[in-house]
Amino acid sequence: MAKDTYLKKILGNDRYSRVRQTKILMVGAGGIGCELLKDLVLTGYGEIHIVDLDTITLSNLNRQFLFRHHDIDKSKSLTVAKAVDSFNYFDTKLVPHHGNIMDAKQFPITWWSQFSYIFNALDNLEARRYVNRMCLYLKTPLMESGTTGFDGQIQPIYPYYSECFDCQSKVTPKTFPVCTIRSTPSQPVHCITWAKEFLFHQLFDEVDSSAGGLNDAAKIKSETDDKDEIENMTKEFNELVDLRKLIFNSDARTFFTELVNKIFKVDVERLLLIETLWKSRQKPVPLIITQYEQDLIRILDDQTELQKIFGDETKVWSTLENLVILFKASESLQRRLQGEESFLSFDKDDEDTLNFVTASANLRSIIFNIEVKSKFDIKQIAGNIIPAIATTNAIISGFSSLSGTNYFKYDFEETQDFSRIYQESSSIFISIKPNKYITSASLVGPNERCPTSSIARGLLKLTPVEVKELSLKWLVDKLIEQYDYADEAVALILGKSRLIYDVDFDDNLEKRLGDLSGFTDGELLMVQDDDGELESIELYISIVEDHESDYLPQIKLGPKKAITEESSNGSSGAPDVATDTIVIDEEDEDLVEVTEPVVKKRKIEVEVL
Amino acid sequence: MSLCKTRLQEERKQWRKDHPFGFYAKPTKATDGSLDLTQWTAGIPGKQGTLWQEAVYPITIIFPEDYPSKPPKVRFPAGFYHPNVYPSGTICLSILNEEQDWRPAITLKQIVLGIQELLDTPNPDSPAQEPAWKAFSKDKQMYEKKVKEQAKKYAIAG
Ligand SMILES: [Zn+2]
Repeated sequence: MAKDTYLKKILGNDRYSRVRQTKILMVGAGGIGCELLKDLVLTGYGEIHIVDLDTITLSNLNRQFLFRHHDIDKSKSLTVAKAVDSFNYFDTKLVPHHGNIMDAKQFPITWWSQFSYIFNALDNLEARRYVNRMCLYLKTPLMESGTTGFDGQIQPIYPYYSECFDCQSKVTPKTFPVCTIRSTPSQPVHCITWAKEFLFHQLFDEVDSSAGGLNDAAKIKSETDDKDEIENMTKEFNELVDLRKLIFNSDARTFFTELVNKIFKVDVERLLLIETLWKSRQKPVPLIITQYEQDLIRILDDQTELQKIFGDETKVWSTLENLVILFKASESLQRRLQGEESFLSFDKDDEDTLNFVTASANLRSIIFNIEVKSKFDIKQIAGNIIPAIATTNAIISGFSSLSGTNYFKYDFEETQDFSRIYQESSSIFISIKPNKYITSASLVGPNERCPTSSIARGLLKLTPVEVKELSLKWLVDKLIEQYDYADEAVALILGKSRLIYDVDFDDNLEKRLGDLSGFTDGELLMVQDDDGELESIELYISIVEDHESDYLPQIKLGPKKAITEESSNGSSGAPDVATDTIVIDEEDEDLVEVTEPVVKKRKIEVEVL
Repeated sequence: MSLCKTRLQEERKQWRKDHPFGFYAKPTKATDGSLDLTQWTAGIPGKQGTLWQEAVYPITIIFPEDYPSKPPKVRFPAGFYHPNVYPSGTICLSILNEEQDWRPAITLKQIVLGIQELLDTPNPDSPAQEPAWKAFSKDKQMYEKKVKEQAKKYAIAG
């Protein structure tokens, strides 16, 4: 029996023959990509391009089954393409590319336009958004997929017919204000953030080997705001420098005693002096080490007792136990810095660093009367971990591949009218909740207030000669002529945020396009109606050897839409950290993004008119 | 994000149409001749009849990529004397704090007016530097002296 007998039966002859002749792109060759490529090859696609920028690491091997031990350090995309060879029954042409999908030089829009369908198998928000936008520019259908722990989902996207990736807003990782972290923590996560990002970082990590550099104004400005503010508090800074010196110039006991004294007593006493802080809050209670000294010394000499404390990571440690852990951790970290390592970064899998952060976070929690957490819990919170599960990836890849064939029911060679197909497609969700193992939802039309798909998009085509010779004034006139802006009030923003022209800023009008820095192939040009009548259009600058007479997309701009903006935090206080959606893979540093927000957020609508 | 740039251009337009008297705000000019919409400089005049009068205090406003979901970072020059200003110059103000009162609908105009208000009515609940906070709560005379000295430094020319 021929290998494609069942495929033909399942897909039908027409659909199968379309699949056989189709060129598709798969972005990402990691957890989902490995599973998905197997499925796509066995579906018989004519040609599959694979893009990934990563190389294989040991920690990938537990779930990325197309890789073997001898593949470590090799390119993921090149390796997967070879790995599926042994079951490439339908002679699918495999074209791997090692590179960053967001690199417009390696992957210009002309390259993107060769694909009839795109499968995302990505692990980060930025790349997903990028592919989503490219699909909107080119009206190429996209299959989006993502997993986190036991949860997973697929979402078919038919540009401008169904919701795009950005139509539902995603939860962004939580950041806390400096004031809360430094002065007035009220939740375990505040203390954990303080221990990890501030205390550990300042003491052991690669920041201030030279104190002079830190007082350098330019350098301080370039730092993130948190660090910046913290480092500028001269007093605390100087004391920390002294403490850092002690790592090298003292024995373990002196370092530990000074550390505990400064961090958990002196600093807290200083905070207590600021009386107004505590009018409506419970006062922190400084930790007096002498109370615990005797017991501490006794336990540190008692191996059985030590093992008992270290042995149970799910137990909530007492003050004394946290002090014991802190002592042992700071002793090890001190020894490591005195030895080979010149700095240490927090790593949830590095026991010494995790112990230090756990114990110091807990001691701070005790001082501020906040719930103390077990080491196990703190590891989850500090590392934002939800494990990547091979089975979830396999199931989601199966749905992605199967649901992708849906598109080939009809012939879209001629038209890009997706009105029928989008109503026959659905998103699929999987979870481990009883009765909700697999659920599906019909696709709905684009969210009118989506910041990404509610603006028009298209290509601005120019030849290299035109870029060299035509002026910005020519482009402004061309835009006004093409889209009929009232009062000729347009604003042009190049790239992320560079305004090159508006009615109040005409300095650049006489410049040639090529002389505007950043006016290059693959860059974006946002054109906005300053009168607020017409919708904005974002143009993708495509520099091609020749093009038809059209420079600009022949579309009619609709009226300007109001765009939704969402508050990035919940209504009161921070949500529990377990609901954070950026998740770090248990085994390596792959970012596993959740595509479905776990937390329902309050929406704030803003009329940007 | 496209939302960030469209919104910033909108703020620029609104400011041009209407802004409070004595204030200024403009995006900084990059070396390539464009205007960087994410980096603004602005001036906050001290209210008449307060210690802060007769001076315009310069601030920088930096808009993050996920503005307006996230608030801009606003600073005075480093070392600025005010109980709610960090030594780095960063302003501790609830409407600029994502966890507190920041809302995407808050406009540039509201921000600068909020900062003007803060100048003479410091928030005793969020001390950000020791010298000004201590003087403000314990030694009013010293505080007034320092603020007036600072006002001279930023005095309106002429
Ligand atoms: Zn959308």
